[in-house]
Amino acid sequence: MSDKVENGLIESLLKEQFGDAIRSVEESYGMLDIVVKREKIIEIITWLRDSSLLSFNFLTSLCGMHFPDNKGEELGVVYHMHSFANNKRIRLHILFSISDPVVPTVTGLYRTANWMERETFDFFGIKFTGHPDLRRILNMEDMQYHPLLKQYPLEDGTRTDKEDKYFGR
Amino acid sequence: MVKVTEAPEMYTGEGYGLTRLEKIVGLARANSIWPLPFATSCCGIEFMATMGATYDLGRFGAERLSFSPRQADLLMVMGTISKKMGPVLKQVYIQMAEPKWVIAVGACASSGGIFDTYSVLQGIDKVIPVDVYVPGCPPPPEAILDGIIKIQELIKTESFRRRESEEYQKLLTSYGIE
Amino acid sequence: METEVVNSQLIDYAAIFVQFVVAAGFVLTTIYFAQKIGPKHKSVKKFESFECGLDSIGNARLPFSVKYFLVAILFVLFDVEVIFFYPWAVNFRELGESGFVKMLAFIAPLLLGYFYIIKKGALKWE
Repeated sequence: MSDKVENGLIESLLKEQFGDAIRSVEESYGMLDIVVKREKIIEIITWLRDSSLLSFNFLTSLCGMHFPDNKGEELGVVYHMHSFANNKRIRLHILFSISDPVVPTVTGLYRTANWMERETFDFFGIKFTGHPDLRRILNMEDMQYHPLLKQYPLEDGTRTDKEDKYFGR
Repeated sequence: MVKVTEAPEMYTGEGYGLTRLEKIVGLARANSIWPLPFATSCCGIEFMATMGATYDLGRFGAERLSFSPRQADLLMVMGTISKKMGPVLKQVYIQMAEPKWVIAVGACASSGGIFDTYSVLQGIDKVIPVDVYVPGCPPPPEAILDGIIKIQELIKTESFRRRESEEYQKLLTSYGIE
Repeated sequence: METEVVNSQLIDYAAIFVQFVVAAGFVLTTIYFAQKIGPKHKSVKKFESFECGLDSIGNARLPFSVKYFLVAILFVLFDVEVIFFYPWAVNFRELGESGFVKMLAFIAPLLLGYFYIIKKGALKWE
């Protein structure tokens, strides 16, 4: 590769290919932060992976987000991707409502997403359609709720000996 | 002549000593504890230091560690135990051979420590009966040795019939260990 | 200078026999009394196979590859052959030419067997 792949190039190629599926593009810490539409996410990730120029062949991480103040788009999923050949990282966000927490799975593209999506399901309740084995991974199997959603407290509910007033609650 | 350990109170005479069997058995058990280091977090590292040369747990007779509960007397739980790990810990405790003792090293094993969260077991005494608690985050090796010495005192003074007594059986059933 | 021959009778070794009886007796007595007066506890969960606190799934008895057995058994065979070489090596000069020929006669069939093993690929690992 004689010419280095730059953020500007990635942004322009994405906008050219997908048009208005790309909702917004920002840059922070030298990485592109792209918000895309949920329906197109599989296409976009497949295209980024299979493009011989960009070759984002590694899914570093996948996790969920919950912003209860964003009415209509409370939940989200972030995909961190890394291109070994170009030494470039990129972040893709999708946002959707908490009343419809369904996202297509990327397990078919990256095997590593299997456990990461299980973790996201375990902590945020986001269901991934097409996932081979969607069940809780880090919490107990019989847990009734999804702990990392903002409405649930961090503390263990079964403690009987802690006085709230000493802990500023 | 090297004095290895204190002799129990004996009625001594010329070439003989008379004492209770419980005392001799207690002495033997206390000075040859075989621990099972159930080390999960930072307290496990402090335990590694305790086993090292400076603080040497081996001089108390606890040189032979085993990770198999069938061959251990003392379950040393050192570190944060999550709620998912609770049944595993309980099963390991149940599968230990009699007589067995448990020492909870560190704040997390004693009471959940600073991790008052939905996933951390708030103290292993929610799932198994504990004999000695060693507070600290992490406790220095001297404190762990202090805990071991307290366990030794408990072992020396334990009566043969304690494990069949009603109180002990009630304790076990309260944990759901039959 | 004549070396003195001391007549040693069996009675002189009685002390060793007593020491052996005391040692074995101590071990057996402590094991027996430990089982008798030691604490006991029976329960179903306690007697399950140890699997690091988890529930064991399935049977441990599975068929295993024959290559392990072949390597072990052939090692034993040739190791015994080597054992026969040691006294020959010590007395090599005394046994001379005839000894050498006899040893060759011993080695020859085993060597034949060795070539057969190599040809058949019995020691091929994969």
